[in-house]
Amino acid sequence: MTASFIIRPASAADLADIMSIEHECFPTDAWAEASMRDELTATHTHYYVLLVRDNASGTDSVQGYAGLSKLTSSEQSDVQTIAVLPGNRGKGFGRALMNQLLQTATQQGAKQVFLEVRADNPAAQKLYESLGFNVIDIRRGYYQPDGVDALVMSLDLPSVPANREPIVLGIESSCDETGIGIVRGGTLLANVISSSMDLHARFGGVVPEIAARAHLEALQPTLHKALAEAGVSLNEIDAIAVANGPGLAGALMVGVGAAKALAVGLGKPIYAVNHLVGHVGADVLERGEVEVPTIALLVSGGHTSLLLVRDLLDDVQLLGETIDDAAGEAFDKVARLLGLQYPGGPEIDRAAAEGNPKAIRFPRGLTLPKDMEKHRYDFSFSGLKTAVARWVEVARDGEEEFSVADVAASFREAVVDVLVTKAVNACLDNNVPRLLLGGGVVANKRLREVAAERCAKHGIELRIPAFSLCTDNGAMIAALGAQLVMAGREPSGLGFGADSTLPVTTVQTA
Amino acid sequence: MTGFLIAIDTTAGTTVALLRDDEVLAEVRYQDGLKHAETIGNAITEVFAKAQLEPKVLSAVAVGRGPALFTGLRVGIAAGVMLSEATGAKLIGVVSHDAIALEAYSVEPALAAKPLLVHTDARRGEVYWALYGGLDRHGLPVLLAGPSVGKYAEVTANLVEEFGEFNERTQGATADWLARLARKQLAEGFATDDVTALYLRAPDATMPKPNQQFGKRVSDDR
Repeated sequence: MTASFIIRPASAADLADIMSIEHECFPTDAWAEASMRDELTATHTHYYVLLVRDNASGTDSVQGYAGLSKLTSSEQSDVQTIAVLPGNRGKGFGRALMNQLLQTATQQGAKQVFLEVRADNPAAQKLYESLGFNVIDIRRGYYQPDGVDALVMSLDLPSVPANREPIVLGIESSCDETGIGIVRGGTLLANVISSSMDLHARFGGVVPEIAARAHLEALQPTLHKALAEAGVSLNEIDAIAVANGPGLAGALMVGVGAAKALAVGLGKPIYAVNHLVGHVGADVLERGEVEVPTIALLVSGGHTSLLLVRDLLDDVQLLGETIDDAAGEAFDKVARLLGLQYPGGPEIDRAAAEGNPKAIRFPRGLTLPKDMEKHRYDFSFSGLKTAVARWVEVARDGEEEFSVADVAASFREAVVDVLVTKAVNACLDNNVPRLLLGGGVVANKRLREVAAERCAKHGIELRIPAFSLCTDNGAMIAALGAQLVMAGREPSGLGFGADSTLPVTTVQTA
Repeated sequence: MTGFLIAIDTTAGTTVALLRDDEVLAEVRYQDGLKHAETIGNAITEVFAKAQLEPKVLSAVAVGRGPALFTGLRVGIAAGVMLSEATGAKLIGVVSHDAIALEAYSVEPALAAKPLLVHTDARRGEVYWALYGGLDRHGLPVLLAGPSVGKYAEVTANLVEEFGEFNERTQGATADWLARLARKQLAEGFATDDVTALYLRAPDATMPKPNQQFGKRVSDDR
C-alpha cells in the first residue's frame, strides 16, 4: 500500500523540520543550520519537502526533502541534497522527490543534472541509475570525516521544445461561481467550480455582497481541489490568468486580489482577461482552437450578449446585448411569478416539459420593424416578464384554471425564439457560418433544440461546449490566458483593477 | 520563531510591511481607501524589491481581518491567503484593531492608565470599535469589549457606564504594527490561521416582497 504524501516547495518555515531530518540522516556531516537557511532562501535553488499524512491525527509531517541548484546563466544543474527519514525509506519517496527535482530542472531550462552519491550507499546509487544517471567520475575521500569516496553521476535531460505549452491557472469570480481552472496550452487539466447559488435562492437572485463573501471563503478550497485534479503543484504553473470584468465589481475584486498575490508569490506573469471573451475561449479546450469567424451568443443570469469574433485575441466586436434584464434573470423572475424555485431556468424547463409552447403568444422583445432598425442585435426581456405577470394576474383574477406548464412553455419559447432568431440573423448578415453558445442558460434544453434546428436549416455550424465549460468557470479564463501566452503577448501589469463594464473589445487589460 | 514575515492590511488604505524577526525591512502604504484591487500587487512587489528579497523567503503571512468596509478588506485577505499558498508560508489572521491598540500602547505607554477605545469609520454614521485594557504579560493587547459596530454616541455612552473614562484612537491600522503583533502572537503561541473577515454587518439584501410573487396586482388599484 502506498502512503499518501504530497511534495511542496520548501520555505524558511520548514527549516526546523529539515534540520532535524538532516541530523538524523547525516549524523557525521550534517549541514549547519545557517547554511541550510541560505540554501532554502537563495534565488537559484529549488527546495521541496515531502509531507506524509498521519491518518490517525490528520496532520501532515515532513518526512523528507530535496534541493536543486540551477543558475540562470548555466545549462547545468546540481542536486544539492536529498534525504528521507529512515522509517519511511523504500516507499518511493526518494524517487518522487528526485522526479520533482528533474521536472524543475527541465522547467528551468537545464540540459544536464549532476549529483554526488556516497560510494557506500548502493541503495541511492540504484535509484539514480534507474532514473537514467551514469557515473562519470569518482572523488576520493570526498565525504569527511568518514573518508568515503563520492561517485559523480550525471543525467542528460531531454531538450524541451521552445514552444512548450504553458500551464496556466485561471481564476473566475465575476458573479456567483468561484472558478479555478488549470490548462496546459489548449488541454484542460482541471475545472473546479464552487457556486454560492444556494445562498442566493431565498432572495430570488444573486446578491452581490453574498457572492463576494462566498468567493473569499471558497478561494483556498477551490484552489486545492483544482491543483489536485490537475495533478500539478503551484510551482509548475507558468502563468496566472484572471477575469477582471465585466461582472459584479466586489466579486471580481476578490479574484483580482487573489490572482495578483499568487502571481507575485510565485514570480509568474499575470494576464487580466475579459470574462465574456473567456466564454468564447472555452471552445479551445474542446476543439484545440476557436474557429473564426464565429458569432457567439452568451446567455447567463448576468449577461445576454451577441459577439462577432473574427480573431479571439485581436478582433472581438459586441453586436448587441440586453438593454434591461439578462435572459437568465427573466427566467428567475418568471419562475417566482409562477411560484417556482430559484434558479428559474431548470424549474421553468421542468414545468414547460408538459406544456404547449404555442398556448400563449407572448411578445418577442425588440423584434418589431422599428426596433430592428435601432436594436437589430439587442435584447429586451423586461416587457416579456411583465406580459407574463399580467397574463397570470388576469387569469387568477378571473379565477380561471390555467396551466402553469403552458405559461412556462410559452414564456420559454418567446425567450428562445428571440435569442436564436437574432443570433442566426447575426450569422447570416455577417456571412459567418458558425454559432457558438456560452453561459449558464445554455443548459436550457429548448434553447439547444431550437438553435440546432435553425442552424441546420441555414447551414450554420453550431458549437455548444460541455456545460461545465459554458457556465462561469476558471478553465475558460485559463484557456484564454494560455492563448495569450502562446501568442507571445506581454503579461498585464500589476496595476489593473476590476472593471464591471469592461467592453468585449478589451480582450486583455494591459 | 525567526524568519521573514509579511503583513498585509487593507482595512483603510493598502499597507504592506516586511519584517525580518523584529526589524521592519520595508513598508509600503497606499493611502487611497478605494483602489485596493489596483494597488495590492504592486504593494507586495515593492516591499520585496525594497528589501531585495524573493517571496519564497517568507515563513509567515499575516493579514488584517478587519473590522472594516467589506470590499477593500476582502482584497487584502484574498491576497494574503494566496501569497501563503504560493510560498508555503504560515498564514496568520490578525484583528486589525488589535494592531492599532498595540501601536498606541507601544508609542505611548501612558495610555495604559485608562481603557483605550479604538474606532474607525464604518460609514452610515457608525464606527467599528473595540475597547482595550493595556497589554498582558505576553505584550498582547487585552480586549475588554468589541470588536463591534455601532453609532459612536451610543457606543461611548454605554462604555463609559460600564468601564468609566477611556482614551481614544481613530487612525487606521498599518501593516508594520500588524506584523509586530503577528510576530508576538507567533512567539507566544497565540497566532491563529483564522482569516475570516470581520464584516460585523449582514449583507445588504432584501427579501422579495410576498406580493411580488404575482407581480403588481392591477385589481388592487381599481
